Amino acid sequence: MSKKILILSQSYLESTTDQVCQWMDYLKIPYRRLNGEDFFRFQQLSDLPDNTETAVVWYRRKIAHFPAEFSLKQPDINSQYTLKRFLVDEFNGLHSFLFHSIDAQKWLNDPLSEKNLNKLQVLQLARRLNIHTPFTEVVTTKAKIMALLEQYPALIVKPLSECILLEDTERRAYKMLTSTIDQKSLSAVPETFFPSLVQERIVKKFEIRTFYLDGACYSMAIFSQNNRKTTDDFRNYDNHRPNRTVPYKLPAELEHKLDQLMKILRFRTGSIDLMVDMQGNYHFLEINPEGQFGMVSHPCNYYLEKKFARLLHQSVLHEKEIHQQPENKENAAPATVFSEAE
Amino acid sequence: MEYLNIYANCQLVKGANMSLLCDLQMRRFYHLPNDTAEVLLFLQQYSIDECIAHYGEDNREAITGYVDFFVSRELGFIDDRILPELTAMELTWDRFADITNVVIEYQETIDYSGPFFRELLDQHLEGLEIRFYQPVALPELRELLALFSDSTLRHIKLVLHYEKSLNKATLDELVKKHQRVKSLLLHSSPEEKLEKIFSNSVPVYHFTGEINSCMACGEIRANHFTVNTELFTESLRFNSCLNRKLSIDQQGYIKNCPSMRENYGHVADTSLQAVLDNKTFSRYNHIRKDDIAVCKDCEFRHVCTDCRAYIENPQDIYSKPLKCGYNPYTNNWEEWAQHPMKQAAIGWYGMAEIIK
Repeated sequence: MSKKILILSQSYLESTTDQVCQWMDYLKIPYRRLNGEDFFRFQQLSDLPDNTETAVVWYRRKIAHFPAEFSLKQPDINSQYTLKRFLVDEFNGLHSFLFHSIDAQKWLNDPLSEKNLNKLQVLQLARRLNIHTPFTEVVTTKAKIMALLEQYPALIVKPLSECILLEDTERRAYKMLTSTIDQKSLSAVPETFFPSLVQERIVKKFEIRTFYLDGACYSMAIFSQNNRKTTDDFRNYDNHRPNRTVPYKLPAELEHKLDQLMKILRFRTGSIDLMVDMQGNYHFLEINPEGQFGMVSHPCNYYLEKKFARLLHQSVLHEKEIHQQPENKENAAPATVFSEAE
Repeated sequence: MEYLNIYANCQLVKGANMSLLCDLQMRRFYHLPNDTAEVLLFLQQYSIDECIAHYGEDNREAITGYVDFFVSRELGFIDDRILPELTAMELTWDRFADITNVVIEYQETIDYSGPFFRELLDQHLEGLEIRFYQPVALPELRELLALFSDSTLRHIKLVLHYEKSLNKATLDELVKKHQRVKSLLLHSSPEEKLEKIFSNSVPVYHFTGEINSCMACGEIRANHFTVNTELFTESLRFNSCLNRKLSIDQQGYIKNCPSMRENYGHVADTSLQAVLDNKTFSRYNHIRKDDIAVCKDCEFRHVCTDCRAYIENPQDIYSKPLKCGYNPYTNNWEEWAQHPMKQAAIGWYGMAEIIK
């Protein structure tokens, strides 16, 4: 079997993967798409993709929903949650084995770097590369917040990890949002609290979402409705009106620094969030290495799905070149604990 | 100094007298006099004050009125400069399939599961329209729709002959089972109405007229205009009616469109690859709206559906669609069927009966 492009994704709600696959079909590039749901049909470990048959891996998604039911004899909210968590961990135990069994350099993004990505570390790296970031601190007391409000008119608080969705017993969903702390809202802040990430609040002219693809930056400006200078009564706006999204070109110097940042993190693709303040300064916010790019590709007419398909193809060709060197011997040896599936 | 920045996905198309500002993202257009369009173009290089100085103080009110209009419609915003980082949108068009859209004129004697159709479904098709000129039994319809279940085809439009049995509940069930069906048109219906099925997501248009041949097709109407990046960019380079499109007529012949005369073989004994390799099949693909007489002066040319099957001069493939009543030189819509200049072509296509 020839060396293949391996795409790890999920079977539902994944139009980005679908479109990249459709481009590869059209361009006659062979690939194997493995959805998380497929793991539920495997009979043995050797059904997993093998290192020797894999030339390049794009890890997009893990799974949408487990195609398996579970129940407890004594239903109890806490245990339900614990069990759900357990099943996620169980699934990850199997899925993330691929991170080890397939050579790290074959992954578009280093899977372990992606898995362990830390917001504070990324901000620190960015600052080291002279990319401007908003003032960031982790605090535990109201006193410290008050001191910071002397320096900055307002702060925002957001998770160190990722925003989550909460559900109550009636299955109503509560979405976690970034919220503002200023003199007015200070009274709601307790004297001491759980370590929390705060940042200076940037008054934005617009936001930028950049999709980084193997050294190139494809950027989009997002003008959100509540900061368009149209009228002073924003309540006139129709809530269904979407944000305006248009192509944008970052300054070459900033693109160069972002390229360095992605290379240090060993990411060949990913989404980068930035903000532009009223004076036109850029503020780096964060990186989402698995970021979906349809929301940048379509509004800006970038055809990123096609470019992505080409990148995967080039990576296979490149991989073939490497393996035509003397290392061929090593290549022929049986890989780790697996035997060939066929 | 204040400058008006117009968003890159708002594209201006100039016609003989009027222009169309196409908001490709919000899918709306604004019909503007060419004078206004000129001011807009001027403002893409100069400040608002410079624009007023250029056109004269007398025009101050008009110019600030235009600027207010563009800003209030969120077509642009005001800044202290023209932001060069807000780059132009690349107006390229491409698609991951050699055929994107298919029209089938249904005929019960044709086998729609044969090799030609399997090859066709291997294309990542965008849309399929199935036209039934005659009433069809439900089991037959279900069987036909089941053929597309395992394909990557995105949506199906059904044109059905009205029958009592095709009530709301039946259609709802059908669409629930075959979720690719995104719209239905029932012709020969007792009343004109619009119903919505499948949790209000799928429209069912009832039309009292009878659709019994493809000769009813090809009308250019303002409510058929579509404003989006896909059509706009495709129409800049390709024919918006026939590029990468294919049809199978009632007799099973493969055509560019059911209304075209020439065919490229029969589905029973032709391979799709042979059709794609046949250079004459793609001969219309590159006829752009910018190449077509009259259309090239029309401000609607990149939101229009075009029609190459019925044209004003059947001997000249670059002539205007026959069933278009818009005159871009006077900006009036006229009844095309009554137009004296069109009678010869109407006679040539033998459609005098149809349009009565």
